[in-house]
Amino acid sequence: MKSETIEEVARIARLELTETERTEFSRDLEEVLEYFSMLDEAPGEKEYGLNPVEILDMLREDEVGQEIDPELLVKMMDMFEDLVRGPRLV
Amino acid sequence: MFSELIDEMPLDSSFKFNFSAKDNLCTIDFQTRAGSKILDGYRPPFDATPVRRLRRAGGLLVGKTNMDEFGFGTFCTNSGYGVPRNPFDIERSCGGSSGGAAAAACLLEDHISLGVSTGGSISCPASFCGVVGLTPTYGRVSRYGLVDYGNSLDKVGILARSSSMIKNHFPTIAGSDPMDPTSCAQPALDLDETQIDSIAVPREAMENIHPAVMDSFLRALDIMRDRLSIDIHEVTVPSLRFALPAYYVLATSEASTNLARYCGMRFGVKGDDVTQHFNDYFSSVRSKNFGKEAKRRILLGTYSRMVGFRNRYYLKALSVRQTVISDYARVLKEHDLVATPTMPFIAPRFSEIERMKPIEMYRADFLTVPPNLAGLPHISVPCGYVDSMPTGMQLVSQHWSEGVLLNIANMWEGVFQYRFPGARQ
Repeated sequence: MKSETIEEVARIARLELTETERTEFSRDLEEVLEYFSMLDEAPGEKEYGLNPVEILDMLREDEVGQEIDPELLVKMMDMFEDLVRGPRLV
Repeated sequence: MFSELIDEMPLDSSFKFNFSAKDNLCTIDFQTRAGSKILDGYRPPFDATPVRRLRRAGGLLVGKTNMDEFGFGTFCTNSGYGVPRNPFDIERSCGGSSGGAAAAACLLEDHISLGVSTGGSISCPASFCGVVGLTPTYGRVSRYGLVDYGNSLDKVGILARSSSMIKNHFPTIAGSDPMDPTSCAQPALDLDETQIDSIAVPREAMENIHPAVMDSFLRALDIMRDRLSIDIHEVTVPSLRFALPAYYVLATSEASTNLARYCGMRFGVKGDDVTQHFNDYFSSVRSKNFGKEAKRRILLGTYSRMVGFRNRYYLKALSVRQTVISDYARVLKEHDLVATPTMPFIAPRFSEIERMKPIEMYRADFLTVPPNLAGLPHISVPCGYVDSMPTGMQLVSQHWSEGVLLNIANMWEGVFQYRFPGARQ
């Protein structure tokens, strides 16, 4: 696997890989993808869903509600006054 | 085996039973870390539905059981919080990813463990630790409050020393939950006893298995034939060969999406430098706190979904899943159950695991993956002892027929005695 490929995949996945990791994961991915290529000869059905069983859409009434106490959620966040602090945007 | 345990047993005797929950199930009074450093310190503000239902039925949650990080593993060696040891031999693995759950079910009498299976994470440790593990039909038990690995593959189930213990509590956790839409199309649970006449054994599941394990399995089939009057038929299910690669494509694809939420903002560990640009902030937290196997699976899944590869891997895997489902349906029309050994070997030693390559570990799942991929309910029961280590038999039935599995397991317990390590009697 090309070094640029693994770097691109890591960038998309938001992972910083060390030189060693890049080499090791490159090799691992190649071996596993080689195994995945078995799928090329596999019989596949033309019609398929995303789930193994049928599922239903569950809708609810458009009513305002709060399942979880907002106080509890605020305690878990990094707050500054009543704003949630996060990393720099620009 | 516990990543977090209750401080003291309450003196209050109003609790009717004890249970533990795998650490990827949200619990109000214990941390929920799913075996990962990235969730260190995370205290959910709610209980997962299966936990809530068991508590409401009088259950005392005694602790959270250790697991492979996010469910990524077959030997419970990928936890950020230690490695549980097999109760039968402490140099050997508990199996994964519900390793702690299986160890607790084995060692603690009168205890049921909530486990979770994506590709076999209830069956495998049940087999290695000599306990019964029920993996219900996908959608039978609500996944609300479960830390996602693969949304189309995850199922919450139970491990315990006997099928009757599982039967007592399974109805409590099963059933529609409006908080999990995928649990809302299920038919009613039917645990009535049924006639079991015929078991099918796929030829494809009889290869690459340790001879002593195969021997135990064949002897178990003989017992079923002779003492339970069940016919055993060999069948062929060609698509089984492709279940494993299809599973790993779907599981890693779904996992890589699900793990995108762990970026140092909302759950667990936060980054230490908010002056960083957000991409660097996210990358830094993720790189420092995800384990090796988590990173490997994220990379695999991301690659499988990328433009240019999506058709070949992801969409193909979905269509192969449908073939596996159809093939099982065909066999289960003629037979009540499909049986195979649960794992191709007994619990390996930690020294052996260290020498395994990732692809070898993935391929160890070839017996548990097919029913998991197809969302079919299955049960693993101890069926023999090799070098004093337990080995399991896995039985699969049609979608929604957990009753048949609990029935066969109960019948099996009438003709086969399980052994447990001397420890806590």
